[in-house]
Amino acid sequence: MDFSDQLETQKSKYKSITVERPIPLQYDLALLAAFDTNALDESRLKNDTDNYLKEYTRDGTQLLINQIFKLPITTSDLGKLAELPEQITVIPREKPLPKLKPPTRWEKFAKAKGIQHRNKNKMIYDEATGEWVPRWGYKGTNGDGANDWLIPVPQNDDPFEDQFSKRREAKKERIAKNEARHRRNIEESEAALNQTKGADARSLRKGELQRQIAISKSATASIGKFDKTLKGELKLKGVKRKFEPSIGDVKKEKELNLNILKKVVGKKGDIVNVRKAIAKRGQ
Amino acid sequence: MRPLTEDETKVFFEKLSKYIGRNIVHLIDRSDETYYFRLHRDKVYYMSEALMRQAISIGRDQLISLGVCFGKFTKSKKFKLHITALDYLAQYAKYKIWIKPNGENTFLYGNHILKAHLGRITDDTPEHQGVVVYSMSDIPLGFGVTARSTVETRKLQPTDIVAFHQADIGEYLREQDTLF
Repeated sequence: MDFSDQLETQKSKYKSITVERPIPLQYDLALLAAFDTNALDESRLKNDTDNYLKEYTRDGTQLLINQIFKLPITTSDLGKLAELPEQITVIPREKPLPKLKPPTRWEKFAKAKGIQHRNKNKMIYDEATGEWVPRWGYKGTNGDGANDWLIPVPQNDDPFEDQFSKRREAKKERIAKNEARHRRNIEESEAALNQTKGADARSLRKGELQRQIAISKSATASIGKFDKTLKGELKLKGVKRKFEPSIGDVKKEKELNLNILKKVVGKKGDIVNVRKAIAKRGQ
Repeated sequence: MRPLTEDETKVFFEKLSKYIGRNIVHLIDRSDETYYFRLHRDKVYYMSEALMRQAISIGRDQLISLGVCFGKFTKSKKFKLHITALDYLAQYAKYKIWIKPNGENTFLYGNHILKAHLGRITDDTPEHQGVVVYSMSDIPLGFGVTARSTVETRKLQPTDIVAFHQADIGEYLREQDTLF
């Protein structure tokens, strides 16, 4: 007996699973999506829109399903399952990239001069005592001869001047100067971070001072309500509203909601239906 | 899109608890997936975490709607429940009213419920209590507020109002522009 005729008729009932496309499709199987960049046949699109689109879509879907059948397949209680690969399509990130920290004054200077950082040992050898001591800090040699028991008076200097106190004063001055520079660096780096708002270090500092003046003015019995205002005096702006981020702490949000719910529902105390209980009792 | 502030949550829960009482817990603390209430353009939406994470990369101007809209905050910061929240209200409602088939149409056109149309009512429903309205075949039709308690309704005339209309599923057609 020849079954080939029957096979042919059976086959012709179903459409072919092989589809030809000049440009191969791109797939993102994790999303079960296929992207077709081929041009449509314009004449058929115009004359026989519905049928053409249906046919075209069927072919595209067939290609997608062919791809799915190529994936590794596992069998489980639920039936045969194809393991989908990782998603290829990239979704844009939620927030812009963080800004780079602006270089400090020292970093700028070091770059201009070509100074490179090198690690120094923390301990140095003290030749006078023959011991290893920290370079700075507790029990360290600060290199300024603070522990000298004798200081020779320099030539052409006042012999009655106290050289020890002179050194102490000089050190204090150096520290104060360094601290002033440190403050300036902080102000400058803050200003650089806020540069998009068009603020330099000076105007930032000015704003800060004006805010502090405004706050100190309210330190009266009437919170500054009846104080006379000066000409050109700034009005203090109110507090800006700030909301929680959309994706924050899940547990915390749930707890907060439950707490609020407890307050809202707890007032009525609807665990026992008093009305019903009284009606029952009366019967 | 942002989480509700504490004050907003309070106002929202107060309104919601009029209908489902303590059952709000089941909305916040679900076993299947974490669900959230989020505010977007004065409307409160209820959505799963997965949906929210996807929506977060869409700008505020571009985002039209997401999840299930529960209602909106009015300009005076009161909360108005929308009919879109009916699915959840019907699921957890404490007090219910069933209306007869001849009253369904008038209710769905936005009229109050009359004594004549009242089919059944939950026992011992107090006055001014939020109720979910069902047809006699248990299809949720909307929600409202009782005008009288269950005991007092027995003495009413057939033309007297039993419950005030608040929202009905006819709004899906009447107010489809502003509902979601």
